[in-house]
Amino acid sequence: MAASVERLFTAASTIEEALAARRQGATVLAGGTWMMRDPRRGVDLPEAVVALHRIPALSKVEIEPDHIVIGAAVTHTVLGRALRAVAGFEGLVAAAEGAANPGIRRVATVGGNLCALGFAAADLAPALLACEATVELQTFEGSRLLGISDFLKDRPALLTEAMVTRIHLRRDLIASAHIRLPLRQAGDYPVAIVSFAVDKDKRCRIAVGSVEPVARRWTALEQAMAAGPAPALDPKRAAELALEHNDFQGRDGKEAEGWYRRQVLPTLVRRAVAALLKTEGLAWL
Amino acid sequence: MVVTFQLNGEDCRFDGDPMTPLVDILRQERFLTGTKAVCREGFCGACTVHVDDEAVPSCLKPVGLVQGCAVTTIEGLSSGNQVLHPLQANFEAADAVQCGMCFPGMVMSLSAFVRDNPHASRPEIKAAMVGNICRCTGYERIVDAVADCLDQARKAGQLVGGIHV
Ligand SMILES: Cc1cc2nc3c(=O)[nH]c(=O)nc-3n(C[C@H](O)[C@H](O)[C@H](O)COP(=O)(O)OP(=O)(O)OC[C@H]3O[C@@H](n4cnc5c(N)ncnc54)[C@H](O)[C@@H]3O)c2cc1C
Ligand code: FES
Ligand code: FES
Repeated sequence: MAASVERLFTAASTIEEALAARRQGATVLAGGTWMMRDPRRGVDLPEAVVALHRIPALSKVEIEPDHIVIGAAVTHTVLGRALRAVAGFEGLVAAAEGAANPGIRRVATVGGNLCALGFAAADLAPALLACEATVELQTFEGSRLLGISDFLKDRPALLTEAMVTRIHLRRDLIASAHIRLPLRQAGDYPVAIVSFAVDKDKRCRIAVGSVEPVARRWTALEQAMAAGPAPALDPKRAAELALEHNDFQGRDGKEAEGWYRRQVLPTLVRRAVAALLKTEGLAWL
Repeated sequence: MVVTFQLNGEDCRFDGDPMTPLVDILRQERFLTGTKAVCREGFCGACTVHVDDEAVPSCLKPVGLVQGCAVTTIEGLSSGNQVLHPLQANFEAADAVQCGMCFPGMVMSLSAFVRDNPHASRPEIKAAMVGNICRCTGYERIVDAVADCLDQARKAGQLVGGIHV
């Protein structure tokens, strides 16, 4: 059992209360599925934590006709359930329902997934990149909105002061898919992830996770898809383009070496396009 | 810090580090050793308990987060002297258990699952077991026993949560 430590633990009931605790040095605790493993990574648990689970505003998913707002403390299970019937967000639902295992998904939050620094295999990161999500942060100076690409890039600096409160999505997708490659069929970290979305202007948005240290958009492939004729939404053709425009530097890791993560991408693109074509939004193609 | 919660229907008070994993309190302070700490990383499921009726790994649950919650462990499902949970009875009848290391967690995950999914298919049962690793059985007998349990409940016209947890 952990030695008796006088640790400060605040269960905030409002965002303001959480921010006040942050100002006094507390670290955000969401589901704890990442943080509780810090000691195994040789990192001490923080001396002061502020838990978000009792803040109602951060624990709900609001679905409006033109946008969706997701609280940072929403769990994977709740997110998947909330969006299951919302056309266009199949990819985000697959990410929420396919990550980790059922017990972890009941606990692990959206905010925790996006804020776990040093975690390259986060499923929600590429899925939200493909949605072109906007991240709402609370900083000591007030609230701030940031595109998810910028958020992911600048995370280490941003999170020294800020906390994530909500994720905003436009409802401008007609279809999306999220394809992950774990080593076992399920239950472990994905070796590589491809999230693919098609918006109302028939523009493809493609994001890749777990291949490089931080998830990012695959703009080279997006441009190639836009340049080609419309039937580029053919699984085989998309895989060929993915092979031609593969500009990823795979990271070496416990589960797989970098070259392998990079090499599987065209196959995942093929599967993603095949999955897209099965969605309601694109079934007419 | 003092944390209070319900443990198997009784008041429980813990005074100590709020980041202590729940599993350690269950095993070392309450001697509820049915809950196993095997991987301590959320991968194996042997430490699964119910927190407010949801099956979650107790190795990654800081006790501070269960303030005011209801925690049920395998011992709370049936003391052994009482009637077993239908799922436990089915596992016993099917002789599904081998070394038993994974089973408390397996029962806690699957008892919540059958309660919430009375019409689950075989692939759905398998998907629900993704976070519960068993090194002995090869899983098929466990899946059979869960499917039988659901079948019997449907035939008897009752949900498997009949023994309420
Ligand atoms: C067995 C297992 C399998 C897993 N498999 C997968 C997988 O397949 N795919 C995947 O994506 N993930 C996987 N994970 C990782 C898991 O999803 C993440 O650990 C989880 O999303 C983190 O969420 P949490 O709420 O538990 O975060 P916590 O552990 O509470 O926090 C994580 C970090 O984020 C910070 N933080 C949390 N919320 C905020 C916020 N709102 N604002 C600012 N900072 C914040 C915390 O300070 C901490 O540094 C797995 C984890 C386990 C244990
Ligand atoms: S000990 Fe908790 S999941 Fe393995
Ligand atoms: S019965 Fe031995 S691990 Fe499952």
